[in-house]
Amino acid sequence: MKVIRGLMAAAVCGLFMANPLQAQGRGSITGRVVDSTSQLPMQSVTVTIEGTQRGAITRVDGTFTLADLPAGAVRLRVTRIGYTPQIKEVSFTGGQVATVRFSMQAVAANLGAVVVTGYGSQRKEAVTGSVATISADEANVGVLANPTGLLQGRAPGVNVTLNSGEPGAGAQIRIRGGTSISGGNDPLYVIDGVPLQNNESEARGIGIGGSASIGRNPLNAINPNDIASITVLKDAGATAIYGSRGANGVVLIETKKGRPGAATMEYETYVAASQRSNELGFLTGSEYRSFISREIAKGTLPASRLASQGTANTNWEKELAQTGIQQSHNLAFAGGNQSTTFRASLNFADQQGVVISNGFSRLQARLNGSHEALNGKLRVGLNLSSSRVENDYLPFENTGGFEGGVFVNQAVYNPTRPVLRADGSFFEEGTGRQGVRNPVALANQVLDDGGTNRTLANVTSSYQLLPSLSVQLNVGTDRSNGQRNIYIPRISPAGAEFGGLAQQAQRGLSNNNLQSLLTWSPTVGNQIDFDIVGGYEYTDFDNTDFAAQAQSFTTDAFGYSRLDAGAAPQPPSSFREESRLVSFFSRTNLAYKNRYFLTGVLRRDGSSRFGTENKWAVFPAVSGAWLISDESFAKGLPFSQLKLRIGYGLQGNQAVPPYRSLASLAADGGARYVFGGTTVTGIVPNVNPNPNLKWEQSAQANIAFDYGFKDGKYSGSLEYYSKETTDLLLTVPISQTGSSFVGDQLQNIGSVTNKGFEASLDARIYDRPNRGLTLTSGLVFSMERNTVGSLGPSQFINTGGVSGQGQSGVNAQRIIPGQPIGTFYGAEFAGFNATTGAQEFNNYTVVRNAAGVETSRSLRGRSSTTNSDDFVIIGNANPNFSLGIRSNATWHGFDASWLWRAEQGRDVFNNTGLVYGAKSNVTQDRNFLRSALDDPTSVTEPALFSSRWIEDGSFVRLQNVTIGYSFKVPFAGGNKPLRIFASGDNLLLFTPYSGYDPEVFIDNGLASRGTDYIAYPRARTFTTGLRIQF
Amino acid sequence: MSLYHNSTRLVRFGALLAVPMGLLVGCTDLKENPASLITKDNFYKNTDEVLAGVAAVYANLRNQFEDYYAVQQVSSEEMVVPTRGSDWFDNGAWLELHRQGWTPTSVVGLREVNGIWNQQYAGVARANIVLEALETVTIPNKAAVVAELRTLRAMFYLNLMDMYGGVPIATDTKVEQREAKTRAQVFAFIETELTAARADLPVSWPSQYGRVTRGAANAMLASLYINAQVYTGTVSATGLTRGAVRWADALATADLVLNSGTYTLEPNIKTNFLPVNQGSRENIFVVRSKPEDGLGFRRQYQSLHYNSISPGDGGWNGWAVVAETYRKFDATDARRTQILAGNQLAIFGGAQVRDRQGNPLDFTVDIANITAATEGEGPRNYKYPIDPAKVGGWNGNDYVIYRLGEVMLIKAEALNELGRTPEAVTLIDQLRARNFTPARPITVSSQTDVRAAIFSERLFELFAEGKRRTDQIREGTYTSGTWFGKTATQGYRILLNIPQPQLDVNPLLRQNPGY
Repeated sequence: MKVIRGLMAAAVCGLFMANPLQAQGRGSITGRVVDSTSQLPMQSVTVTIEGTQRGAITRVDGTFTLADLPAGAVRLRVTRIGYTPQIKEVSFTGGQVATVRFSMQAVAANLGAVVVTGYGSQRKEAVTGSVATISADEANVGVLANPTGLLQGRAPGVNVTLNSGEPGAGAQIRIRGGTSISGGNDPLYVIDGVPLQNNESEARGIGIGGSASIGRNPLNAINPNDIASITVLKDAGATAIYGSRGANGVVLIETKKGRPGAATMEYETYVAASQRSNELGFLTGSEYRSFISREIAKGTLPASRLASQGTANTNWEKELAQTGIQQSHNLAFAGGNQSTTFRASLNFADQQGVVISNGFSRLQARLNGSHEALNGKLRVGLNLSSSRVENDYLPFENTGGFEGGVFVNQAVYNPTRPVLRADGSFFEEGTGRQGVRNPVALANQVLDDGGTNRTLANVTSSYQLLPSLSVQLNVGTDRSNGQRNIYIPRISPAGAEFGGLAQQAQRGLSNNNLQSLLTWSPTVGNQIDFDIVGGYEYTDFDNTDFAAQAQSFTTDAFGYSRLDAGAAPQPPSSFREESRLVSFFSRTNLAYKNRYFLTGVLRRDGSSRFGTENKWAVFPAVSGAWLISDESFAKGLPFSQLKLRIGYGLQGNQAVPPYRSLASLAADGGARYVFGGTTVTGIVPNVNPNPNLKWEQSAQANIAFDYGFKDGKYSGSLEYYSKETTDLLLTVPISQTGSSFVGDQLQNIGSVTNKGFEASLDARIYDRPNRGLTLTSGLVFSMERNTVGSLGPSQFINTGGVSGQGQSGVNAQRIIPGQPIGTFYGAEFAGFNATTGAQEFNNYTVVRNAAGVETSRSLRGRSSTTNSDDFVIIGNANPNFSLGIRSNATWHGFDASWLWRAEQGRDVFNNTGLVYGAKSNVTQDRNFLRSALDDPTSVTEPALFSSRWIEDGSFVRLQNVTIGYSFKVPFAGGNKPLRIFASGDNLLLFTPYSGYDPEVFIDNGLASRGTDYIAYPRARTFTTGLRIQF
Repeated sequence: MSLYHNSTRLVRFGALLAVPMGLLVGCTDLKENPASLITKDNFYKNTDEVLAGVAAVYANLRNQFEDYYAVQQVSSEEMVVPTRGSDWFDNGAWLELHRQGWTPTSVVGLREVNGIWNQQYAGVARANIVLEALETVTIPNKAAVVAELRTLRAMFYLNLMDMYGGVPIATDTKVEQREAKTRAQVFAFIETELTAARADLPVSWPSQYGRVTRGAANAMLASLYINAQVYTGTVSATGLTRGAVRWADALATADLVLNSGTYTLEPNIKTNFLPVNQGSRENIFVVRSKPEDGLGFRRQYQSLHYNSISPGDGGWNGWAVVAETYRKFDATDARRTQILAGNQLAIFGGAQVRDRQGNPLDFTVDIANITAATEGEGPRNYKYPIDPAKVGGWNGNDYVIYRLGEVMLIKAEALNELGRTPEAVTLIDQLRARNFTPARPITVSSQTDVRAAIFSERLFELFAEGKRRTDQIREGTYTSGTWFGKTATQGYRILLNIPQPQLDVNPLLRQNPGY
C-alpha cells in the first residue's frame, strides 16, 4: 500500500515538476567536452551546476544538454577521472540556448584516449587492468575478411593463427595462451556491449575419406570497415567483470557511430588478386616415370609398372591453382544534430580462393543511431546489423585420409594421368567407386555451399536520474541461421558408392541478452573521484541443428535440391540446446589525487550448464595503479609518465556443454537395431552425468609498468602475468564396470599454468604535421610459457593424431604434467642406415623401479625399430616469443604503413611431409613429394612418425605493406578528399619450414597445436583501392 | 518545501529504478530442461519405449565383429595383417596383435584391449538400465523381455570373462568402482543367469527375427560348459592350470538345441552367410543387418583387394589368411572356396581383377615379408559374400554368432571327452557330408585323434566366425603354437591384460598375472 501511495505521489509530483512555471524566465545550455591534447570528444564526463542537483553526463560525442534552467548565471563544473576538474561561468537570458566548450586537461601526459572496459569506459590512464587497444583505422589494411585479422601483430599477448589460406578461414585467437585443454580457448567477443556466440554458424562438411575441414570464421558476418575500435581485456582485473566467460580474455568491439554536424558520405572499394604463396612440389609425370624406371632397374618394382603409366605430365598443384580475385565495396553515410545521430553502411565483399572452385561473399548492412530526449536525460541508441554470408566450400579434409578429398589427391594422384579425357570429361582411373580421385574433378563436381544470415541488434537506453546517477537498460540479440548443402555426385568416384549423396544441414544460433546497469559517479571533494557501476545481466542461448541426407539418386541433375529424389533417405538428425546465464556484478573505480587508482570487481554468475550442485560462481578481482611520475620525488626521473599497475583476480571458463550434469537418454543412430524387417531406434544413456560439474577457474596476477619518455614521444608498457587454471574440464576415463554407459566422464580435474611477459613500444618518431611529415612505429613483444600441472588420474593424454594412410593410432603429441600443451612426443630420428637407407631411431634402455616409474634411461644404440621406451619429447609447438613491428608514415598527401610479424622457436609437425614424402606411395601407384627423391629410404619403407618430421616453424613475415595518396578532386561542385591506395599481404616469408606455411592449424585431437597436414595454401595478395568522401 | 521536494525525488527515483529492476524478477531460474534429451525417470514406460532400450542393447552386439573379432582372428592362427607399404601399418598394431605382443601400455594394449572392455561393459550398462526400469514397469510379455536382457548381458560377461578372466559384475546402474570377481564366480554368474532366463525365452520371435531365443541361450550355455576347464581354471604367470570339466552339461545343453526341432542343417554351408541369410534354418543367433538403413556388415572389405568387387570398387586389402591354415583345408573341401586365392576375377562381372599397377591380381598363398607385403600376397577370407544390393558400403549379411553346425561340434567334443567317441565321429561325419562330393568321412578313431580331428573340423567349419582364439586356448595351442609371423609366447597371454586405463581409475582392479 505504501509503495503504491509513494508511486502515486511520485507520479503527481513528477507532473507538477515537469510543468514549467514561466517560459520566458528559462533557458538552456548545450556544450561539448573534448580532450585538450587529442581534441577527441570525451564521453561520460560529469557536468554539474554548482549549488544545485542539476547536471548531465556527456554522450559518446562529448556533448551534453541542460535544458529548462532559470535564466541567469550558473557555474558549470566538469569532472572526469584522470582529468583536472574545470569550472566555467555561463550566463544566459530567458529563451536563450547558451553554448559552452570544455577542453579538459589530462592530469599527466597523454597515453591515449578513453577506452571501453566493459559495461562502461574509462580514460586509459585510470585503467588498472591489462588492456590493449587497437586502432581499427590503422589496422584495417589489405584484405581482411573479418575482425580477427585486425588483431594480428598489433597487441601484445594476443596470438592469432589463421587456420589456413582458405577464404574466410577461421582463426585460433589466444589471449595470453590457451589455458584450457578441452574447454574452449576462444576469447569472448562483445560487440557494442552484446556478447556474441562464437560457434560455427554452419554445419561441418562431409569428410570424403577423412574428417571434414574446420568451418569458416563465424565473425565473417562482421564487416571490418564498420569497426571503430578494438579493446582486448587480458588480465583478471579487466576481465573479471565478464565472470565465467572471461578466462580466455575479452575482445570488445565498438562500431563506428555518427556525429553531430554536416552529414558525410564515404565510399571505399578495393580489388585484389591473390595467388598461392608457395608450392609443395610433387613429382611431375616425367619424373614419376623415370623414378619408376630406376626402381625397376633396381628390381624393387616389377617391370610391368612402367607400361601401366600414362603419358600425360600433369602438375596437379598447378591445375588446382588459380588467381583469386577479391573485391569489396563499402558505402557509409553518417550525420546528426545535437539530439540525434546516425551512421548507415552497406558492404559487399567477395573473395575467391587461390584454389579453384571456392570462395566466400558477404553482403552486410549496418545502422547505428542514437537519440536523446527529455532535456538530454533520456538517451536511446540502436545498433542493427544484418548480413548474408555465402560460402562456397572446397571438399578437403583436415585429418584422417586414406582416400580423401582435393588435397590428398593433389598429393597422390598419378601425374602421368591427364586432367581430362579426349572427350572432355574428367579422367578417372575407372568407373564407379575409386580409391583415388582426380582432384580437379572433385573440386568441380562436388557441390558444397553454405549460407548464413546473421542479425545482430541491440537497443540501449539510459536515463539520468541525478547528475551523478544514471540507469541503463540494454537489450541485444544475436541470431544466425546457417544452411549447408552438399552433393557428392554419382559421376564422382567419391559419390559412386552411394549412388550420389545429398545432404542439407541447418543450424540456428540465437542468444538474447539483457543488461540493466546503474552508474553512480558522485563528487567527493577535489581529491577523490569515484564511480561505481552495478548491474544485472541475463543471457539465453538457444541453438538448433537439423540435417537430412539421401543417397541413391538416378541422376545428378537435382544436385542437393531434391532429397526426395534419393532412393535411400538416411535418418534425419536434429537437436536443440538451450542454456542460460544470469549475472550480478559491480565495479568500483576509485581515484585519489588522480595519482592512486583502485578498481574492485565482483561478479556472481549463475549458469544452467553447471552441475546441480554448482550453479553459482563468484569472480572477484582487485587491481590498482600508481602514477609514480606524478610524485614529487619522480620529477627528476626521465619519465614523462610512469605508472605501476598490479592486479589479481579470478576468471572463469564456462565451456561446459549443456546438460552434461544430467542423467540423460538420447536417441542414437548408432544404437539402431533391426527386429524382423523393422529398424528400431535405440534410446541410450549417452553421458555419465556429473552433478558437480563447474567452470574452469583461472587465477591471474598481473604486474605492469606503463611508461612514457620525452613528453610521450615514446611510450608503452611492460607486463608480467601468471595465470593458473584449475578445475580443468577434462573428459577422464572412469571405472567402467558395467554401470556406466561410456567409459569416461567430464570432470573438473587438473591444472595448467601460463606465465608470460609482454612489452610494447609506441614511438612518434617524427611528428611535424606543419612540415607534412609524421612517422610512428610500434612494437609488440610477447613470450608465454605454458605448463601442465596435473591431469587427475591420467599420467598423460595422447593427442595430435597423425593423419594419413597407415597412421591410425599414431599420436604426435602428448599432454604431460610438467610440460607445455603442444609437446611433441615420439621416437628420435637418428639418421639413415648406411647400407639399406632405412630410417633409424635412437633406442633406449629404460630402468624402472618397482612401481613402474622410470628411474633412468641410457642410449643403447640405433635401429629401424622402436618400442614405447624409445619415445621421448621431441618438440614444442609453442614459440619462445612472438613479435610484431609496424610503422605508419605520412608525407604531405602520401601515407605508407607496414607490418612485420615473427615467431621464434616454435616447432611444426610436417604431417604432409611424413605421409606424402614416403616413396612407398609409389607401390600403390600414388605420387609423392619431390623432396623424397633425395631420401635414401626404399620404396617398401612405410611412413614412420619420428622427430624427423618435427621441423622448426620459426618465421618472419612481412604481413602487409600499404601505400596511399590523398588529394582533393573536384566532384559534384566541390573538392572532395580522395585517397587511392595499393597494398600487399603476406609479401615475404622467411622460415626454415619446408611445408606451405608454418602458421597453420588443424584440429587433430585434444588441445592440438602445431600440426600441418595438407592445409589450404596461403595466399599472397595485391590490392588496389580508393576512398572518397562527400 | 525543500524536504518534501527531496523526499519525492527519492520516491520518484525509486519508481524509475523499479522499472528495469522489475524486469529481473523470475530471471534467475537455472534449471535445465533439455528438449532433445530425456531422462530415465520419464522413459521405459510402455512396450515401445522398452523396445527402444532393448534395441540399444542389441546394437551393442555389432561390437562382436569389431575389436573382439580382431583379437579372436588376428591373434590366432587364422588371420594375419601384413604391412603393405604404409598401408595397414597403423603404428604396428596389427603385427603386435598377430605376434601376441601386447602390453598394458602398447598400441594394442591401449586400443583393442581397452576397446573390448569398454564395448562389452557398455552393453552391460545398457541392459542394466532397462532391467532396472522393468522392476517397476508393467508391460505385456515382460518376463520374456527380462529374460532376453539377462541373456544378452550374460553374453557380454561371457566375452569379458573369455578375454580378461575375472572381472567386476554389475547388475544395477550405480556408477562406482567395483572389485573384480574371480573367473569362476563370473562363470557361475553367467551359468545362473542363462539357466534362469531360458525358460522365459520364446522358441522364436515370429515377426521380430533376430531377438534372443531359447535356442540362443542354450547355445551360449553349451559353449560356456565346453570351455569350463579353461574358465574355471587358474591362470598364473606360467600359464593355465585347468579346472573342472563340464562335458555332461555341455552335452545335455547341446542336445536341448539339437532336439528342439527348431533348427536344421542347411545343405550348403554358404547359405548361412549370404547377403540375404535371414532364411537360414541353421542360424541360431545373429547380428542383424539392414544396409538401406546404414546398418550393415562390412568385414568383407578388410580382406578384399581395392579392385575385387568390380574395377575401382573393392575392399581395404588388409587381412590375409595364414598360409599354414589355408593349406590345412582339403582341396576338395567346399569350405575352402570361402577363401580367395590365386588369380582373381571380379566378384561382379567376372572380369580379370588388376592390381593398382594394372597387372592381373594373384592372391599368393604365401607372404614373403610380413612387414613389406605386396598388394596381392596372402589368401583372403570371403566367408560373407558381398551384397549386390549393398548401400554405401553396407552389406545385408547377418553376422552369425551361433549356428547349429557349432552346436553339433560342441556335442561331438563332449561325446568324445565322455568316452563316446564313435558317436562323436558319426556326428562329425554328418556335418562334413555337405562339404564333400564324394563324401570324405574322417579316418581316425582313437579318442586323442578324434579330439584333434574335432579341433581341425572347428577350424574348417567355424573359420572366420570369431571363435579361433577361444578354441586354440582350449586346445592348448594358442600361445605355444607357431605359424607364419608368430613364435611361441608366454602362457599367461591366454588372458588379455586388464586395460591400463581401467586400472588407473579403479584401484580395486588387479592386473592379470604375467603382465
